[in-house]
Amino acid sequence: MFEIEIDGKLVNAEAGEKLIEVTDRVGISVPRFCYHEKLSVAANCRMCLVDVEGAPKPQPACSTPVSEGMKVSTQNEKAKSAQKSVMEFLLINHPLDCPICDQGGECELQDVAMSYGSNVSRFNEGKRVIADSNIGALIHTDMTRCIHCTRCVRFGTEIAGIMEMGGTGRGESLKIEPFLNEGIQSELSGNMIDVCPVGALTSKPFRYELRSWQMNSTESIARHDLVGSNINVQTYKGKVKRIVARSNDSVNETWISDRDRFSYEGLSHSNRLLKPQVKFDGTWKEVSWEVALDFCVKGLLRSAGESNSMNSLGVLASKTATLEEYYLLQKLVSELGCENIDYRLGVKDTKNTINLESNVKLSDLEKIDHALIVGSYTRLEQPMINHRLRKAALRGGTVDVINSMQFDFNLALNNENIIIPCEIANLLASTLKVVLESTNQDVPEELNKLTITKSATKIAKKLLSSDASVIVLGEHVINNDNAKNISNLVAMLAKNTNSSTLNLSKTGNSIAADIAGFFPGKDGLDVNSMLGKDMNAYIMFDVYPEYDFHNSSTAIKALSDKNSFIVSMNSFYNNNVADYSDVMLPISSYYETSGTHVNIEGEFQTFAASVKAPQESKPAWKVIKVLADLLDISGFNYSDSSNVLEEAKHNIKQGHRAEESINITDTNSVEVIWQPSPYSIDALLRHSDSLQETKIGQINKATMNSSTAKHLNLGDKDDYLGVPVVISSLVANNCVFINANKSTPSEEQA
Amino acid sequence: MFDKLIKIFKDFTLSELLLGMSVTAKELVNTKITVQFPEERTPISPRFRGIHALRRYPNGEERCIACKLCEAVCPANAITIESEMRDDGTRRTTQYDIDLFKCIYCGFCEEACPVDAIVETQIFDYAFESREGSVLTKERLLEIGDENKKLIDKTKLEDSKYR
Ligand code: SF4
Ligand code: SF4
Ligand code: SF4
Ligand code: FES
Repeated sequence: MFEIEIDGKLVNAEAGEKLIEVTDRVGISVPRFCYHEKLSVAANCRMCLVDVEGAPKPQPACSTPVSEGMKVSTQNEKAKSAQKSVMEFLLINHPLDCPICDQGGECELQDVAMSYGSNVSRFNEGKRVIADSNIGALIHTDMTRCIHCTRCVRFGTEIAGIMEMGGTGRGESLKIEPFLNEGIQSELSGNMIDVCPVGALTSKPFRYELRSWQMNSTESIARHDLVGSNINVQTYKGKVKRIVARSNDSVNETWISDRDRFSYEGLSHSNRLLKPQVKFDGTWKEVSWEVALDFCVKGLLRSAGESNSMNSLGVLASKTATLEEYYLLQKLVSELGCENIDYRLGVKDTKNTINLESNVKLSDLEKIDHALIVGSYTRLEQPMINHRLRKAALRGGTVDVINSMQFDFNLALNNENIIIPCEIANLLASTLKVVLESTNQDVPEELNKLTITKSATKIAKKLLSSDASVIVLGEHVINNDNAKNISNLVAMLAKNTNSSTLNLSKTGNSIAADIAGFFPGKDGLDVNSMLGKDMNAYIMFDVYPEYDFHNSSTAIKALSDKNSFIVSMNSFYNNNVADYSDVMLPISSYYETSGTHVNIEGEFQTFAASVKAPQESKPAWKVIKVLADLLDISGFNYSDSSNVLEEAKHNIKQGHRAEESINITDTNSVEVIWQPSPYSIDALLRHSDSLQETKIGQINKATMNSSTAKHLNLGDKDDYLGVPVVISSLVANNCVFINANKSTPSEEQA
Repeated sequence: MFDKLIKIFKDFTLSELLLGMSVTAKELVNTKITVQFPEERTPISPRFRGIHALRRYPNGEERCIACKLCEAVCPANAITIESEMRDDGTRRTTQYDIDLFKCIYCGFCEEACPVDAIVETQIFDYAFESREGSVLTKERLLEIGDENKKLIDKTKLEDSKYR
């Protein structure tokens, strides 16, 4: 630490810091275009020139390291005239189209031109014009406006990990353009809109709708993944119009995924459920809330029957509810004396699934030196977590993978094991055996008969030799026949190699569901037993059966065949829901209600409503509260969702601990992994048109290798479980990896 | 003392009365300046700020590009604009309303417009029959522009020398 002098002020600086970091810290403004806090220094725009005493020419603040005794002026004649000249050069080719530019009003070039530009142009020659190419449904380009700061190019190489934009030509003919004609494919591409200082890259869905000064901005939390990225929701006349990232270094830094940025489009989809409806004699009638709720109460009480017991009521919720909604619904039904409550709709067997703690901070994730990823394509499934892992990999960390299909990771893999799902448990078990043996510990009996494979030794060596390692367990194994074993093995491996664990299978807000106690009570039924039984009544919270249930056709059949009384609260209309329900209550969707998201660190992130729920739909927590009042249940006197949160915090429930035993079973038939494609994991995403148009949104394929295809008698024009077949050698033999944007399988899965 | 003497002198010679009468006498023979509105009109400056109009390009295309600068600058919040991308990819308004009850005829909107789309004309004698009539819609504004194209072009040309 030493002192330097900037504009006559003495300020502290650290060796190795760049001048611009010091000026930013002490609040001296230096204009800049190419410099970005989170990207490497390119020093190509020259806007940040300042005068450094002793240097013959002005120096760029963004790339000049501080040194002791340095005297800098950002304001003197020399600096000012340098900045002014750079501005004049930049404006030579920049079109004068601020009035039709969506960046107008929030443009860095506009702002800097106001303070450093001149009011007349001395340039009378023709301006350069660049033809635009269509780079996809999310980003609109106007490359004539580009000032070649290369922030987007650096974002691609450094953060997204795919070099999609690049510069060709030089001097006057330098062009920034996408390398491929297929458009931008990154799952983080929307951030380029944020980093572009001018209007060259702007949001396509938002195009020409509003000016930045017309909108109100509220802070909120994005809920599509496990980090809960911090965002600003910009609204106009009660509608969400745009979402931009909000910096929070411990959560999402300054980036958000495209999912979080563009999903808001679904909010104004015509498919929203907007009025309470009741089914009279098989036909739906729009009714008032009073009538609908009264109908619910009567129906629920009737279903209790003479014994007046609610044992035959089932309560199911999707993974997207807020903590408050989970807590209230759970409280409501347990007051009624019902324990049949579950949110794990996509799990084949809730007794045999992953149950693993996550115990690593997101900001520590980028400091690990080794990661073992099991059953996950982190890049598309949890983009922000993948971003941290990628940072770790760039710092020299290594990454091993155990998957059933080879994925297009954007980080260098050290060792990729592509094996059939039923072997995952075996591989982990023999890895554990190696670990135990090499640390001179007793090997449990179950592991004795295992042969140690080469890959197991490699994985074990790597885990043992790293100081800070993490084992990441993903969604692909939740329905594995050995899911529980895998989960236990990972826990034991982590314990014996001193690794942390990260459970990526608890998607959406399921961590909050666990905390709120939204799982079957001691004698309660889980989702699959409920569907197998004759329940008299159901309360379904934002459930879309063809997407949410592990096996949609059985679930839909179970719900519609039996004569149960079904209350559905949904934010979107759904045919199947309309088929089996007796009442449909319209509830708020994302950004329309206040609530709390619990992220993978266990961090409670509370957000306020950004807009009112449209028409007659209501925030779900209020609906549950009123339902409780009508059912004469006391203890629901909340005036605000924060009261609910307080109470929920005092009643934190512990998820059930699995006992540590290993008992691996073998299967020989073809195994299927069903993974919803990244942009169809919840109802809001499925209704976001622009996201659906992207390459990632279009993913819908059942990938298998040629011998599996032969075995199943399928060609690449056929469908498997309703999904088009793609034959590729990337998948393990005897395994079908399905990435579907349609409903879950309609036939019994293998 | 001296002031008092002068006053007494004026009072007795009726000088002030005569002064007043002389003005009347002069106006009796002077030419008349009263105009018979609406048959007759006084000349108006080309900068006069009357009712608004939206202009078009010679090819018939509306000028306004929905930049909303006029909306932003309007001190009376009289302008409401909604915009979209028209099918041909250009930026256009879907709604452009001026509430004449709010407007204070300051002319800022005209000053702000980068494409000289919104202008204030010399027309000041307009009326409407309902409350809603006070809101000039986009169609109405374009209509006023079309009807008075010659007048607007002329006044803008006259004024352009001083800009
Ligand atoms: S498109 Fe934007 S971010 Fe990319 S180089 Fe041009 S100005 Fe910079
Ligand atoms: S003349 Fe002034 S008050 Fe009237 S619309 Fe224009 S800017 Fe607003
Ligand atoms: S009238 Fe002019 S200032 Fe107003 S939105 Fe149209 S182009 Fe912009
Ligand atoms: S910000 Fe320093 S050269 Fe661009």
